[in-house]
Amino acid sequence: MLLNFAGHKVNMASIIMPNKITEKQQSGKVALTYQQYEVTPYATIQANTNQKLEEVRVDMAEIKAESKPVELLTSVGSCIAICIHDPVHKCGGLAHIMLPNSAIEPHEPLPGKFADTAVPALVKAIRRISGKESRLSAKIAGGANMFANLNTASLDIGAKNIKAVKAALAAHKIRLAGEDVGGSHGRRITFNIVSGIATVRRFDGEITKL
Amino acid sequence: MNKQLTFETHIVKSSIGVYSAVEDQQVDSGILQELGSIGAGHAATALSDILQQEILIDMPTIHRVEPHLLPKIYNRHDIPTTAVYLQLKDKYGCDILLMFELTEAKKIATMMTMASSIEELDQSMEISAIQELANILIGSFLTAISDFVGLQLLPTTPELIVDAFDAILDNFLIKQAMASEKAFVFDTHFKRKGEEAKSIIVIFPSAELQKLLTEKSKELIDV
Repeated sequence: MLLNFAGHKVNMASIIMPNKITEKQQSGKVALTYQQYEVTPYATIQANTNQKLEEVRVDMAEIKAESKPVELLTSVGSCIAICIHDPVHKCGGLAHIMLPNSAIEPHEPLPGKFADTAVPALVKAIRRISGKESRLSAKIAGGANMFANLNTASLDIGAKNIKAVKAALAAHKIRLAGEDVGGSHGRRITFNIVSGIATVRRFDGEITKL
Repeated sequence: MNKQLTFETHIVKSSIGVYSAVEDQQVDSGILQELGSIGAGHAATALSDILQQEILIDMPTIHRVEPHLLPKIYNRHDIPTTAVYLQLKDKYGCDILLMFELTEAKKIATMMTMASSIEELDQSMEISAIQELANILIGSFLTAISDFVGLQLLPTTPELIVDAFDAILDNFLIKQAMASEKAFVFDTHFKRKGEEAKSIIVIFPSAELQKLLTEKSKELIDV
């Protein structure tokens, strides 16, 4: 945004307006100090009007359900991000699971860690927000097998996770509306609570909207 | 060229109690940390020799926490990372990761291949340079420990991957979570002098290897 300022074309962001001139007595001399206006660059104003939602990170083995307009964000490799959306009440949540089955845990399992416990816990959290039973839909991403040497054929945890998550969703009668799973690359998932759109970004820049 | 190796004390700033308390009688974290320091010192010297630069390394840390808490501790979530993965050969179950920030890996590869600029760096050259670097660093790390405890520790061929930090790490955390409730992770951070980007060597030794190293070291101390 260019303005004509005292005969010069200047960028809006570079104008500094003297707000207050104060006199200070410094060792017998008068020093003038300018307090500067904070000038907001045009680009920033534009970005604000674009209404970028606040991003909330969901850590590993964590479950977050929100009713506020936010974007839930997480990064997965072999883990799976399960996004469940309630389109009627415009709320939803995200679970970042690590393992397929909670049976391996000898003590009280952390619900967000396992596919079979995370799905019911997430559904419960969403229903607590909406207060009503309504049809939920799910989108999943992750379950990659990134290192060829790490997992042997008997231990492809990514594939096991995908299978377990799908089984858990089916058991709770939740429709799987979209998936981006498998492969050998990580994924960064942002889940818009309002629209229910899950955006999956691959490291190489490829974007998939679910 | 003035080559120097400087140790910095490293204070772990984390609210999630990272620490190295001796929980298991058979595994002494103090001894393992000491072994790690010897290895890390040798690895940093090797890196310093290759790059002809001063390398600063932090005191190695042992994390003994539930695996899912580690991404929070590292707090590097989506930082583009070049990682090299190696395993220990033979029966010792141990995963080793050498992780650089993507731009730092490119800078190092540029220096190693004598390319005139990062733009000129050929991708296949970059990959083989970083893999070779991992071989040398991890090799000298393991040789130092091998010589000390009298075990032959050899790494497999390196596998290179570029992705987000959390996505790379989660493969290993899952493996840890399957083995036990608490992960045992040894890490050491290092950087070139004057650079901000810190690189990390992350080691996940199996419970058997931890016991074996502790026993071997204790034998040496007792003598």
